[in-house]
Amino acid sequence: MTAAGATALVTLVTTLVLVAWLVRPRGASTVDFYLAGQRVGVATNALAICGDYFSAASFLGVAAAVYVSGLDGVWYAVGFAAGFVPVLLFVAAPLRRFGEFSIPDFLGRRLGSERVRLVSVGVVQVVILSYLIPQSVGSGITWQLLVGRGLPGLDPYGTGVLLSTMFVAALVAFGGMRGTTWTQAVQFLVLLGALVWLALAVIGSGFRYPEAVSDLSATPLANPVPGPEGWELRAETDQLDPGTAATFGEPGAAYGPLAQFALILTLVMGTAGLPHVMNRYFTSPTGTAARMTTVWVLGLAGLFYALAVMLGTAARQKIADAADDHAWLAALTTDGVLRVPEHALPVLGRLYGGDIGLAVIAAGALVAVMSTIAGLLLAAAASWGHDVYERHINPRATQRQAVWAGRASTAVVALTAAGMAMVMQPDSLAPSVPSIVAAMVTWAFAIAGSALTPVFVLAIWWRGTTAAGAVAGMLTGGLASIGMFVLGVLPVGPGIGEMLMTPTLVAAPLAAAVCALVSRVTRPPSDVDRQWLIMHGTAADRQAERLAHLTIHGPGRSRRRQGGTIHGEGTALAERQRRTSRGPQKGD
Amino acid sequence: MDDADTRPADTRLDVEEHDTPAEVDAAFRTLRRVAVWHFVLFLAAVLGVPALSLTLGWWSGARIDGGMSPGFAMAAFGLYVFFLAVGLAAATLSSAVEARMLGGAHDEGDDRPEPQDTP
Repeated sequence: MTAAGATALVTLVTTLVLVAWLVRPRGASTVDFYLAGQRVGVATNALAICGDYFSAASFLGVAAAVYVSGLDGVWYAVGFAAGFVPVLLFVAAPLRRFGEFSIPDFLGRRLGSERVRLVSVGVVQVVILSYLIPQSVGSGITWQLLVGRGLPGLDPYGTGVLLSTMFVAALVAFGGMRGTTWTQAVQFLVLLGALVWLALAVIGSGFRYPEAVSDLSATPLANPVPGPEGWELRAETDQLDPGTAATFGEPGAAYGPLAQFALILTLVMGTAGLPHVMNRYFTSPTGTAARMTTVWVLGLAGLFYALAVMLGTAARQKIADAADDHAWLAALTTDGVLRVPEHALPVLGRLYGGDIGLAVIAAGALVAVMSTIAGLLLAAAASWGHDVYERHINPRATQRQAVWAGRASTAVVALTAAGMAMVMQPDSLAPSVPSIVAAMVTWAFAIAGSALTPVFVLAIWWRGTTAAGAVAGMLTGGLASIGMFVLGVLPVGPGIGEMLMTPTLVAAPLAAAVCALVSRVTRPPSDVDRQWLIMHGTAADRQAERLAHLTIHGPGRSRRRQGGTIHGEGTALAERQRRTSRGPQKGD
Repeated sequence: MDDADTRPADTRLDVEEHDTPAEVDAAFRTLRRVAVWHFVLFLAAVLGVPALSLTLGWWSGARIDGGMSPGFAMAAFGLYVFFLAVGLAAATLSSAVEARMLGGAHDEGDDRPEPQDTP
């Protein structure tokens, strides 16, 4: 490891530990541990959601997918960014207004069924694990590049997987949602800073984006594949016009016509079912704040993905140009093209900033991985600790016991993901997909978008949704998506295989239809009208805003409002807020 | 365990502010319309860009501003601007609908602050 790499690593770890220490939870309540006291403001929550969401797939994977597939790789960026529009339109505000701790908690209470809660815990855990493994893979790849050494008995890849996962698990167990929120916000700023620095360095060196796309599109797109006599370049076949070669700027390098739409829809639908992202909405103070948070996320996501796409393009051009002048590139490339596309940004960083540049980008990649792992572990903790332990294993648990159950579950889930990532070495999988990290995250999106999102949206917007319908919908969506994956692995023909690997186009409508049909013949919960008032009314929002006003200005500046004068209500409201922030105390 | 024991307190119904079922139902229907129309617009754009790449030769073959095709330009940055515009429009309209249809005159002359960040 170089001095720059060591400095970057030490600075990163110190900063994260410091932030986690400064904003550590002050109490032992579950509302504080899982929901940061429900007082995370719009800007902070938007930054934290970005830290949560922009994972190794976004930082390394999008640039890698563009690098290896051109326009077909850009669809990853489009789908990842687009996913927050349905969240804003259908989920953010009602979800926050209904409250709760997690997706299973929301569905279980909304539909008045413990069966729904337990089935959704199962689906959520599958999604979390599917999402955690590629993050761990990303951390292993980054450690290989940044440090290049392993612990005794472990290779560098395995060491990166193990150390990063365990470090984040410790941070989450210690800091809870409050600590995780602020470390994720800081991590996103580091991540964005790394991308902006690299973009400025590349543009400053004379890179012209439009000309680069045009130049790269002038020749057939070719990528390294392992052959009998070592690595060799092979031209990509145009999936839209078999028999011709694909080019960088036109579709067809990776996906057939149906698979392109299937990929985009899978990513669009999946975001609303991602437990670590949706859990963040419960930390907003109001539904309106949750909605505005999503607008901020859309802006930040647009900036982030536009930069990632540009840098993927720049890597394709600049690394090929530099291959002859830099001997160290020979070990990573074949005829100027990277063998592992996830190396695109780190190699670009080294080209433009030497060892310090590599350290900055590698630190950014580690940050992307760790912030997402943190969100996923916290979501796992919420569903195991709150939905299983508190509800079913130890219903009389104290707040302290419940929080410790959450902490223990983060360690178990982290170890499981690290173990699976060590088994799935990326070198053996990379040639089969544009970017192995982005592809594996897409599987998590597919399960979330097929099993959770349709049921989630129906539960929010259709009074007639029933517990039986939700269970049937989740099982149908989950099994259909996993079944299509399995079929997609088989040699079913060009174009069809890729479509089967992004199954939401088929599985989500199927899940929604089954949920609706079963709901039609079963009875909805008896208190659906009361739930509608909570979920779609704004009384609690107004109450929270009034409280914020009173907290800041005091009751002296209160004014007469409909429903009564609020002079003198400050004390009572402040007491209510103290109770809220402290969380419900067992035995109260 | 009683559900009310672990429920975040500010989502309960026993708050001083309240909405009537009729008000909420009317607002819900309006918000659903707003969401569905914005979603249709969003879906048309997000699927329209790849559809144009597949069907119109000039969308991928033409060169604008130094060599980038319209299709690549839309996918590389145009769509993100569109997503932000759709999101901002829908959020603003939804919040305005809620302010007008729920809570009566509560927001008239309202100078209440946005929720503050607290560590």
